[in-house]
Amino acid sequence: MFVLPPPPRYPAGAYGIGLGGVVPLIETNNTLSNPSGPEYQFLVGEGTYVLKEDLHLATPPPHPSEAPVVNPNPLATDPKPATAGTKMSILSLETRPAPFFYKGPSATTLSLGGTTSIQEHPSERYSTEGGMSSEDGRAASSEVPTGSVTMGSAPAFGEGNSLLAPTVSKDINKKKKPKNNVTKSNSSFISRVIVNDNLTRKLTDRPSDGLFAFANINRAFQWLDMSSPTKQDYLTKILFTKAHCLCHDVNMVTKSVSHIDVIMGFSTGEIIWWEPISQRYTRLNKNGIINNTPVSEIRWIPGSENLFLAAHMDGLLVVYDKEKEDGHLNPEEEGLNASGSGSEGELSNGSANGNGIRINKSVHSKNQKTNPVAAWKLSNQRINAFAFSPDNRHLAVVSEDGTLRVIDYLKEELLDLYYAYYGGLSCVCWTPDGKYVLTGGQDDLISIWSMADSALVARCQGHRSWVSHLAFDPWRCDDRNYRFGSVGEDGRLCLWDFSVGMLHRPKTAVPARHRGSVSSRITAPHRTDTNTSVNSGGKGSSGLEDEWEENVIAHPVQPRAVIPMLPPVLTHVVDTHPACWLAFTEDAVITSCKSGHVRTWNRPGVQTATATQ
Amino acid sequence: MAGFFNKIKGASTPSTTQTTKEVVAKKKDEIAPELTPLEKMLQNAGPLREDAADKFFGFENFGNTCYCNSIVQALFYSDLFRENVINYPSLSPSDTPNGSRPKVNVTLRPPMNPTPAAQPPTKKGISTKEAMKQRQTLNNGQPAPGQPAVKPEDKPDTPEYKKKQAMLKGPILELAQENGMAYGMDECTFTGLKDIFLAVLQSSTRTGVLSPQRFLEIFKRDNEMFRNSMHQDAHEFYGLVLNDVIANVEANARKIQERLEIKGSSDLTQSVQNALGSAMMNNLPTGYRTPGTGWVHDIFEGVLTSETKCLTCETASQRDETFLDLSIDLEEHSSVTSCLRKFSAEEMLCERNKFHCDHCGGLQEAEKRMKVKRLPKVLTLHLKRFKYTEDYSRLQKLFHRVVYPYHLRMFNTTEDAEDPDRMYELYAVVVHIGGNAYHGHYVSIIKTPDRGWVLFDDEMVEPVDKHFVRNFFGDKPGMATAYVLFYQETTFEKVREEQEREGMEEVKLATQAANVAQEDGVAKEETTPLKRQVTQPVVMPEHESLASLAHAATAPGLAHVPTSPIVEMPAVNEAPFASLPRTSTTRVETRSKDDLKKEKREREAAEKAAEKAAKQAEKEQEKLREKQLKEDEKKRREDHIKAMQARRNEQDELQKALEASKKSAAQEEAIRKKEDGEGFGFLSRSKRGSKSMSKRSFSFFKDKNGALPDGAMNGDAPEKDKKAGRISMGLGRKKSTSFLS
Repeated sequence: MFVLPPPPRYPAGAYGIGLGGVVPLIETNNTLSNPSGPEYQFLVGEGTYVLKEDLHLATPPPHPSEAPVVNPNPLATDPKPATAGTKMSILSLETRPAPFFYKGPSATTLSLGGTTSIQEHPSERYSTEGGMSSEDGRAASSEVPTGSVTMGSAPAFGEGNSLLAPTVSKDINKKKKPKNNVTKSNSSFISRVIVNDNLTRKLTDRPSDGLFAFANINRAFQWLDMSSPTKQDYLTKILFTKAHCLCHDVNMVTKSVSHIDVIMGFSTGEIIWWEPISQRYTRLNKNGIINNTPVSEIRWIPGSENLFLAAHMDGLLVVYDKEKEDGHLNPEEEGLNASGSGSEGELSNGSANGNGIRINKSVHSKNQKTNPVAAWKLSNQRINAFAFSPDNRHLAVVSEDGTLRVIDYLKEELLDLYYAYYGGLSCVCWTPDGKYVLTGGQDDLISIWSMADSALVARCQGHRSWVSHLAFDPWRCDDRNYRFGSVGEDGRLCLWDFSVGMLHRPKTAVPARHRGSVSSRITAPHRTDTNTSVNSGGKGSSGLEDEWEENVIAHPVQPRAVIPMLPPVLTHVVDTHPACWLAFTEDAVITSCKSGHVRTWNRPGVQTATATQ
Repeated sequence: MAGFFNKIKGASTPSTTQTTKEVVAKKKDEIAPELTPLEKMLQNAGPLREDAADKFFGFENFGNTCYCNSIVQALFYSDLFRENVINYPSLSPSDTPNGSRPKVNVTLRPPMNPTPAAQPPTKKGISTKEAMKQRQTLNNGQPAPGQPAVKPEDKPDTPEYKKKQAMLKGPILELAQENGMAYGMDECTFTGLKDIFLAVLQSSTRTGVLSPQRFLEIFKRDNEMFRNSMHQDAHEFYGLVLNDVIANVEANARKIQERLEIKGSSDLTQSVQNALGSAMMNNLPTGYRTPGTGWVHDIFEGVLTSETKCLTCETASQRDETFLDLSIDLEEHSSVTSCLRKFSAEEMLCERNKFHCDHCGGLQEAEKRMKVKRLPKVLTLHLKRFKYTEDYSRLQKLFHRVVYPYHLRMFNTTEDAEDPDRMYELYAVVVHIGGNAYHGHYVSIIKTPDRGWVLFDDEMVEPVDKHFVRNFFGDKPGMATAYVLFYQETTFEKVREEQEREGMEEVKLATQAANVAQEDGVAKEETTPLKRQVTQPVVMPEHESLASLAHAATAPGLAHVPTSPIVEMPAVNEAPFASLPRTSTTRVETRSKDDLKKEKREREAAEKAAEKAAKQAEKEQEKLREKQLKEDEKKRREDHIKAMQARRNEQDELQKALEASKKSAAQEEAIRKKEDGEGFGFLSRSKRGSKSMSKRSFSFFKDKNGALPDGAMNGDAPEKDKKAGRISMGLGRKKSTSFLS
């Protein structure tokens, strides 16, 4: 009677091909292909987008020192290192006019930032997701003195702290380079560096408006020339020993033909500042001395030559200076340290009240000889992403616990705290005019939050799995309409048109007590008289109820019935793997997936033929 | 099952010396048994909870009974369900004179003797011991060449080893005797379940192994589909157990009512109320179905509305159905949220599937959609991973990547649903490991109130971290996928509180993730397989045991790495490295710093040596692998034949049993009709109500005792139809049948 089951067969590739889970055993090269057919194009109102090319970044084999034997026991409980799908940092060295100038009133409606005057240089203030074509990079870098770039009326980060005042270098064109040569490195952190044999020629021959791209794949990091017909030949590839680069960013202020500042955040918590043209690098937060949790997001502080912000997975935001040595940050004693070094006012800030942020080190601290410049503990939950507001005053941070925090990072204050419908939030971005923040997450939704009203205005439903990345298309945004795109774990690209006027109340809208899309900051009253409230008011959590009432920072979850639901204008499968990143350029939409496919979708009317280049 | 894990071990053939070393190390351990991760977690655990939710008992596997173990564990850790089972029937003074809970008749089996000969085989079925032996012999049929046959359960850090250790350690609570009368009920699935729950509750230890033998015997008595030792569907089992429990409780309620009417006393009204549940007592102004008939309904039952609009006369009609779980179709790269939305998407009824419209009479094309009208307290989602394919005429397993969030709200509620934004939290995941529906293994991962997530794998219980739960989306190698998800009702506030509490663990996990990626040396001690141990302020008894533990990391391959890393490493790695431009190394030579140069050279030399050795090892391994493959193939074929034969036998037996059961069902049906006729108007009505949906969905499964009168009709359905029916149970049936037709 008893039948023994046959031993299960382990999938030899047919099933469960990992999204980065199965790693090749031999080193392969990037490949470039031009698939065509109906599934490689999609139609939107403005016309048809056509796939120009698919660049497949090669996943490197594991380092020889690493045991490549994968534990076949699916129930194995050994911890796994953090990794991330391919993301790109895109850079254009040439200046182009900003695609979308937003007009004056936008600045004044932004009520959170206090008095905001109309911007005189909107193009300066503006920064797109991809960061290209929008600002006068070269001009900024050569004319504006280091560190104190004034972006519009917003003061530079750290202004007022004389210790952070820039050391004015004698020759502005000679920018400081990192210390070590990456190709000659004997660091055990870096395994191998391969520089393209024709790098110099390639750099001189390329069109000046061409795009550079920096991309991570597994333990490799590649520098690519997207304008080259042979873009699969990387300019430089760095292989790290064990660490994976999870995030990276390019400095838009310091970029020039002879200088590019790249920062990378790693699964070990470490950070590398790399200057690809001179092939020099510096390691920061070495061995996790400042924080030993993986870096999930890293960005240069807009307008700053030296400062960047890194989000560590334990919920700590750290401002680093690329040129400073690592110091030691002890969160528990930092308050004492700070007061000991004579900085008052930090202690009062330092005590975190439930929903506030704890300032482990203030930007106004007198101890600025070493990194970190500042450190803010938001919570103990993993931070998944953050974005700077276009006016450079605010920071929107999303976490794995489903929170969206809007922070005035100049004042180091938490302004608003919102919650996802359910599940974690994975990505965030601002509208180009800074009026709205968009988040995407594990509820498969994109939520649009109005900063002026401190409220949720719409939920966007169209993805069939978790949303992984969001970006605005500034070329298709205007005064009345925002165009944005999103990609998700479903491998889909969704395009959305959002304008305040077109938002419809859902049919089932509960009567007038929910006033339009604006939900009152003081939410307790109307929460108690509706049983549609998500917080199930009557459940006797009176303590929390009170907290809500007094705490204007935290905003409760809005019921589904009172928030308009927005459909996408397009949903299209762009990859057979979960997608993880997208960006808009003047000519195309670029998407990438977890297994390293970078796909460029030409906008309507753009020549598809790659041969023209 | 366990044979599955043997295979794993076969896959990572360790070097001979290593194994012997391990065996020696293990022998030492047996003398002074090491602490399991679970025990470590429970050190200094503080006082016991009243509700038994912090007791962790593995369940013995009697050969292919993991479907039962995984589901019963998931049910046990539903606070609502457990409390109700334990407290029902409420005690009446006459039943328990001293007012205390009835003691469960538990026998403590003497711990398994390490020497197999001394084990008296007492059970009818196959004991774990025997199963293990069988598996061994099976495994020994294909020993890796030049390797002394190592029993799977003798190798530390295999699931077999841990399971054996759990059995050795005990205590083993054996529930083998009849124990029905203690609750004033006839012995039934419910009492069997209650026995298990009470045995755990009343146990003096926090850990151990429970042998749910009697429960299974009763269950199999009542459900003949399960009256064999084949691999069974855990979701089917879940549905049948709940339906049995409902039927048992109703029967008992009827009995009490009877007694009540005879006595005319009112002491017992309370227990009737308990049985009938609040839904009925509150007199919901619905009438969309006969009232709920018990606390089981209150916990697991929801209501679906199917709205059908006839496209000819535009008349919309609504019909309500109850459900105990939702069976959802899967899509590649989707989320549970999206699958649920698709479940409620509009559907056209046309062609062979037309709708009979009462208004215009006759079959018409129509539009239909299903929405949730009442949300259950525990939402059970069955991911339909087994799909019937014509080409193979069998159930294939879908390995789609379906992500499931820790929290959930339902989008597909009707407009008049109460609390449509209800927040759910994931509390249990039943995982199916294996390549198809006929074989494999079930384990469950369950969130316990105080101790975080815990993995229950038959006898073995092991704490795991929160992120472990996300390993079963379907895209990871190893064929382990989530199969049944249990979400329970919670509130936003509770979720926030919990997130605050788990904060420090999250930080710890993040640190650990970083350390894993760190180069050698930095994080040696972090490679202990279980993260959550680290967070516990545990004082290790002695350092030696720690060392042995670290050495014996869960990953079988990991343990050998220090001694023979090269053997494990396919040399394929190295070749391309050499051929590619080695910019870094060549440049180093031009460097002036001598020490660096030296270091570099040393490294290079070492690498070259490694390359050589690796190439050799690679060759050997290649051979070995080929051999292994061939043997596997052969064995598989044999097994397949064996399995086929056994299946045929079983089918014959089944057929016989079916006929017998039909007869008895008919008899009992007659009796029941008589009973019903005796005037418990509303009770019998409610009885039918409970069937309306959940029972009908099981119409493919006949029931000997006639609890499923409509099911008996299908008693002689051919085997194939039954198989097809199996996937179509639950609510998705209408949808899933569409691909069958």
